[in-house]
Amino acid sequence: MATDPIPAASTRNLTKTYGPVCALRGVDLDLPAGRFTAIMGPSGSGKSTLVHCLAGLEQAGGGTVTVAGTELSTLDDDALTAFRREHIGFVFQAFNLLPMLTAEQNVALPLELGGRRLDAAARERIRDLAEVLGVADRLGHRPAELSGGEQQRIAIARALVTEPDLLIADEPTGNLDSVTSAEVLDHLRRTTDELDRTVVMVTHDPEAARYADRVVILEDGRIA
Amino acid sequence: MRTVLLVSLHAHGRRYAAAGIAVIVSVAFIVVIGVLTAGARAGLVASSGAPYRDADVVVDADPENSDPSGRPYPDVLDSAAAVALVERLGEDASPLGRVLLPARRADGTPLDHGTLRGETTVGPIAGGDALRWQTLITGRFPTGPGEAVVHVWDADSADLAVGDRVRVGEGTAAVDLVVVGLVESPSTWSQASFYVTWPQYLHWRDQPTWHVGSVAVRGDPGPLPAGVLATPAQVYVEENLARLTGGTDATALMLLLFAAVAVVVSGLVVATTFAAVFAQRRREIALLRCVGATRRQVLGAVCREALVLGVLASLAGTVAGAGLGYGLIAVLPSMDVPAPPVPWLLGGFAVGVLVTLVASAPPAWNAARVHPLVALRQGSTDDRGPAGGSAGGLLVAGGTVLLAQAMAGSDRIVLVVGGAAVFGGVLLLGPVLIPPAIRAAGALLGRRGRLATANAVRHPRRTATTTAALLIGVTLTAAVLTGSATWRTAIGEHRDTQLPIDVAITSADAPLPDELLDQVRATPGVADAIAVTGTVAQLPGWADPIPVVAAPDAARVARDGGAFARVPPGTIVIDEDAFRGPRHELSLRPGDPVAVAAGESRVDLEVVLLGGWGSAAVVAPETLARLTGSPEPRVLWVRAGDDADPLQLVDALDDLADAAGARIEDHLQARTAGEREFAVLTWSVLGLLSVSVAIALIGIGNTVSLSVLERDGEHALLRAIGLTRRGLRRMIATEAALMAVVAAVLGTALGVAFAWVAHVTVVLPILSRASLQVPWPALAAVVLGIGLAALIAGIVPVHRTAR
Repeated sequence: MATDPIPAASTRNLTKTYGPVCALRGVDLDLPAGRFTAIMGPSGSGKSTLVHCLAGLEQAGGGTVTVAGTELSTLDDDALTAFRREHIGFVFQAFNLLPMLTAEQNVALPLELGGRRLDAAARERIRDLAEVLGVADRLGHRPAELSGGEQQRIAIARALVTEPDLLIADEPTGNLDSVTSAEVLDHLRRTTDELDRTVVMVTHDPEAARYADRVVILEDGRIA
Repeated sequence: MRTVLLVSLHAHGRRYAAAGIAVIVSVAFIVVIGVLTAGARAGLVASSGAPYRDADVVVDADPENSDPSGRPYPDVLDSAAAVALVERLGEDASPLGRVLLPARRADGTPLDHGTLRGETTVGPIAGGDALRWQTLITGRFPTGPGEAVVHVWDADSADLAVGDRVRVGEGTAAVDLVVVGLVESPSTWSQASFYVTWPQYLHWRDQPTWHVGSVAVRGDPGPLPAGVLATPAQVYVEENLARLTGGTDATALMLLLFAAVAVVVSGLVVATTFAAVFAQRRREIALLRCVGATRRQVLGAVCREALVLGVLASLAGTVAGAGLGYGLIAVLPSMDVPAPPVPWLLGGFAVGVLVTLVASAPPAWNAARVHPLVALRQGSTDDRGPAGGSAGGLLVAGGTVLLAQAMAGSDRIVLVVGGAAVFGGVLLLGPVLIPPAIRAAGALLGRRGRLATANAVRHPRRTATTTAALLIGVTLTAAVLTGSATWRTAIGEHRDTQLPIDVAITSADAPLPDELLDQVRATPGVADAIAVTGTVAQLPGWADPIPVVAAPDAARVARDGGAFARVPPGTIVIDEDAFRGPRHELSLRPGDPVAVAAGESRVDLEVVLLGGWGSAAVVAPETLARLTGSPEPRVLWVRAGDDADPLQLVDALDDLADAAGARIEDHLQARTAGEREFAVLTWSVLGLLSVSVAIALIGIGNTVSLSVLERDGEHALLRAIGLTRRGLRRMIATEAALMAVVAAVLGTALGVAFAWVAHVTVVLPILSRASLQVPWPALAAVVLGIGLAALIAGIVPVHRTAR
């Protein structure tokens, strides 16, 4: 699987330091397109830093990050923002949704920010995604009225609405009980299987990692 | 982004309430000033323009082409031209003029009314109804000679009624007038007490003060002689008004200064509100950035929120201000309902929108710079930014140098510039200055104040901006209180030497009866009175005899401690104000030798001119002994009590003096009028400043309540580990009071310091003996009042959180 000819995203000799602390010490990673990769490692191993760099949320200290053929270091802040909007989707551990917007408005947000009209096709896609994720009947509610699992599934829908090249999930089940976790992970799995998306997930839970096609272990800023 | 904007406004709108109120109040302030200025103007047009209201043209003297000789006043019409014009146009002309004539009642006693004694003013009334600008109250208008209408106020004060007779004029000019009606006429330059027909008015044509100032004309005035000018009535009124409204405009300008202070204070409240609201929304904003909002999109969204707030609040402020302004016009005298003063309304609205946008720009800029990763972090917000410490320090240092220069050179402009620099510097230094001050103040509260103190200083910039808003108002208030106390004391001491005797009862004809002193002493409001003995003497250059007295015990009643009456032998002290009459003046100069003659005695003395006790000249007891061997009481000097009603007292003393055939000279009313004017000015200024202080207090309540919203979780934790609900309330109210009291104390110190600098720069050069008066009780009351108000402001948010 690691031999897939065109990776959706890759890093080469990626380093990142925070003052005296070395978070990443030369990471070479390929994320094959259409696959579900899990990144595991103990606390402070640099997993979060790695995906933040992949997402362009943090600048690489050294080396390169390439997503969908674009090297992120060549983009300025506005271009990077637009790139993120078009090509990368996010699911965080918590606080994924704007509390004052309804679930549907949250899902539509990346489209709106991109200046796209919410036409019938877009609404159709939002509805389809919600259908796939099993939250079609929750679209009119605000985040506070949704359970933790529902919130995470809405967040997945929001991440997928722009049909991104890369979906990044940072501890997406960290705040959920095991049953709900299983549901959410199942949906991420189906995202790869049924929608043919590339997913990378950070987790410290070996149970969660079992849903992935491939597990990368990070230790002390290096791939073990 | 539109959805986000609308939904955010919906969700966070209430948090902008205080900022909105601040903007509403300052916009309303501006609009009220505008409406009142327009109302005062309209009032002037209605009263001053009344004689020309129904005229088409006004004919008056051409200032560039006329010969002013032979007329009583330079800018009135040539009498012959005026008469010819009025005769030719008949009912289409309304002559406006006046003559001052002696007036007696039917029984021969002098007619007194208003300020006129035995005299009155008479003006012509228009021939036709259309141009008559007097409003008939009772009776009818005069139809022929010998008839007159009287202005109601004058009829009231002279006790005249319809049917009464008055003899106006003397000798061949004397005419018996029957009062046929009472009228009201607006105060204008052509207002008179009596109005008569034009032929009757012509009867006094040869009197020196008889004149026709202008003629209001209906229709075409026809050919006019040289030196006479016809102006469209509207243009004429507006031109003349421009001279009168100078005062109105100056007042408006002064009021605008206070409005400007209120606007700056609201700007600070708006800035803190936005800073706090955006700080609370950092994670939301960061999430927006994560999912693809560019900085510009975030900036645009938050700026649009500010714009919506600014537009709504300014609109509300404009409406509220217009409503309040028109309401005040309805109850205030000498105002008339004006057309809406559009430039003022638009200006107030624009200022409100602008100040909201400008004040929210820095917080908006900070919000747009939020890093997307903030969305992933837990934990509290911080609002660190450039501290502005060095610029503030520079401003304070430079301003202090300027203030020193101003004091050395008595330069008022340098004073203002230096003061502004120091104050601006202090505001910039706020984040460095205020938190340590709050910590120091909190330390005084001991352990109970520890949490409140820590909370009050945890956002140094927010705290500094909040307190700065209050600091501005308090500094100005303290400076005004101190300045006015200093000025009042200085002027009071000055006035004591200028007007040493409150009331003098003087008799030049016969000595005063002995019982008068007891009667005067028994009059309510009299603190003390003395009889001053002397004689009457003749001074060269003054026809009437003058009382000459010696007053060794003047200190009992004189406000200057009797200094004016301690006369060295060989000199005579004369009150120069008492001999300044409409007809002639005493032509003595200080140092002149003067021969004073009393009966057979004659003494050569040197003149000293002072003022403020009346027409009795004062000499040394030795000098008096050379003038007369048997001094008699000639003058009573009266000292009024501090709580005396000057009008009543002077009235009562006047009656006593009349009965004794003596004359009263009163300085009490001038003294109290001066004091009252000053008090009105001081209180108006304080009232205007209180608007800014109130806005700042709203700001403190607002900052605390926004901070409380942020700290919901912490408060729940504190409650969980055993803080009572009351304890929580007290903690939050203490936080508000700490900020307010620190601002109030710092502002008071600054205000007193500024007042001292202004005292040295402005007051001392004029009144060199004046000393700085710091009204500690008033200042303490201000600090205390603000502390209490802040405690109350801090209670509002507590209710929300302690539930």
